[in-house]
Amino acid sequence: MIEGLVGLAAMMVIAFLRVPIAYAMGIVGIVGYAYMRDWNWLVASAMVQTKIYETGRNYTLSVVPLFILMGSFVTRAGMSEELFRAAYTFIGHLRGGLAMATVWASAGFGGICGSSIATTATMAKVAYPSMKRFGYADQLAAGTVAGAGTLGIMIPPSTIMVIYGVFTETNIGKLFMAGILPGILGAILLCLAIVCTTWRHPTWGPRGPRSSWAERGRALKDVWAVAVLFLFVMGGIYGGLFTATEGAGMGAMGALAFAVSRRALTWRTLYDALLESARTTAMLFVILIGALIFAEFVNITTMPKDLTTFVSRFAVHPIMVVAAICAIYVVLGTAMEELSMVLLTMPVFFPVIVHLGFDPIWFGIIIVCVVEIGLISPPVGMNMFVLKTLLPEVSTGTVFRGVMPFMWADVIRLAILVAFPIISLWLPRMMR
Amino acid sequence: MSAPAAGWERRVEVVLGVAASLILLAMMLLTFVDVVARYVVNRPVRGAFEVTELMLLVLIFAGLPLVSFTDEHALMDFIDRLLGRRAQRWLEGAVQVLCGALMLLLAWIVWLKADRIWAYRDATDVLRIVYGPFVYFMAVTIGLAGVIHLYKAVELTRAGARR
Repeated sequence: MIEGLVGLAAMMVIAFLRVPIAYAMGIVGIVGYAYMRDWNWLVASAMVQTKIYETGRNYTLSVVPLFILMGSFVTRAGMSEELFRAAYTFIGHLRGGLAMATVWASAGFGGICGSSIATTATMAKVAYPSMKRFGYADQLAAGTVAGAGTLGIMIPPSTIMVIYGVFTETNIGKLFMAGILPGILGAILLCLAIVCTTWRHPTWGPRGPRSSWAERGRALKDVWAVAVLFLFVMGGIYGGLFTATEGAGMGAMGALAFAVSRRALTWRTLYDALLESARTTAMLFVILIGALIFAEFVNITTMPKDLTTFVSRFAVHPIMVVAAICAIYVVLGTAMEELSMVLLTMPVFFPVIVHLGFDPIWFGIIIVCVVEIGLISPPVGMNMFVLKTLLPEVSTGTVFRGVMPFMWADVIRLAILVAFPIISLWLPRMMR
Repeated sequence: MSAPAAGWERRVEVVLGVAASLILLAMMLLTFVDVVARYVVNRPVRGAFEVTELMLLVLIFAGLPLVSFTDEHALMDFIDRLLGRRAQRWLEGAVQVLCGALMLLLAWIVWLKADRIWAYRDATDVLRIVYGPFVYFMAVTIGLAGVIHLYKAVELTRAGARR
């Protein structure tokens, strides 16, 4: 137990000194592993060789670059504009309607893109200027974009679900299905947060003009391709037509065809999309390999077993354990990069969760929900940094204050998802 | 004075970038063709599985030096707010040296693995593609990432000396 704790603490200290988190996990993993084997560096280096080599050529993991590529193509195809317009024609005339349209457009975009950061970045370019044009308060407009962007990782496809799935050997297709209802629930709660905010400050989100049904029909026609792409990929995985990896490949191909048909792709942007996806992939895999090496070390300490025994000896209610884990994540998530946080703690928490009889799929959804909170929680919410870079005229303080109601909405959703696992598990259970 | 250095940096970046991009494109096309072939002509591509695995390997390890080069590794940087500019640069330089040393060590370890795999002529099951060269490639790009980290440390001290 002590070795595991010392390892975790050492890793945090090294990472705090600005060492890339992946490297910090790797260093502690190697040294810790050697220590546990009586300073046998030969065994430690054999372990490292295996981890690097096997992670590099793991077929299941090829789903990661393909989904990233799909998101990259879709972002360049510029669908966010149409999605926003379609949502706007339906609810733009409500108070705070543009903000709600941003939420639903982000949800729609999340259905073809697996990254919250990309979703936020895209919506910032489309939705923020429109909201400003209609006289929305900075605080509400910026907060909405950052908050709604988090839906990108809950609504499938989702990069973090894929990596969780691989790391814990949970079925990725089922994880994707499990994310759909919590994603919709999230969008509803974010809209409620907007309703509350505009109820308290009616001038922050003025009504837009009402659209006619003809306009609505026309706007919907522009987004059919997004719906087709989503249904094709998710339906294919759901119906067992293809595996998650194949679905990702088909989706990327569809997104490419889509971008080409919209004339949104030049050789230059094609290369940019490919290169950006390749770099993101490499960055994620470095973290993954670092975490796997660290996990090897944690697994040979007594820590996972001790924690499980500890939990069962004290007969704490299982839900209390989940609540404690969520609390730890929310606190860690304020300071740490989210994927590393999840991978770092997984070898410790996952055995406990399984031991308590929880469904790994449900826990995956809880993790994604916690990560979403981490993405918008100060001081290092990634989504807010993205927004800050894209909208330099908005002060960080304004973004932080603006995102608060949405953070609370996400916390409430977390509580709902913990209390009612069926919301996450109903769809995957219907899968064959 | 850094003009020639900037030249080789740029060339390495372009070569790796183009390689990674082409591999990713090929991966997508292969998956697509494999699925279509399975459903339409009822004959999946032979060994597509193995080729995808090897392509993933090349993709990741061609990308690694690029990530190091553009400083895209995820890290926590609050300590910057606690330090003065000089201390910040020192720390950053020290971290680059540490990262460089780690990568060179890993490159050496992976190279040893490559030697072994090459000696046995390990190959894939269906297409009999020999693994060896791919593992050597991993070792080389990990080493390259290490060199990039060290190079960045040197640049930092140079920038400090100029000041």
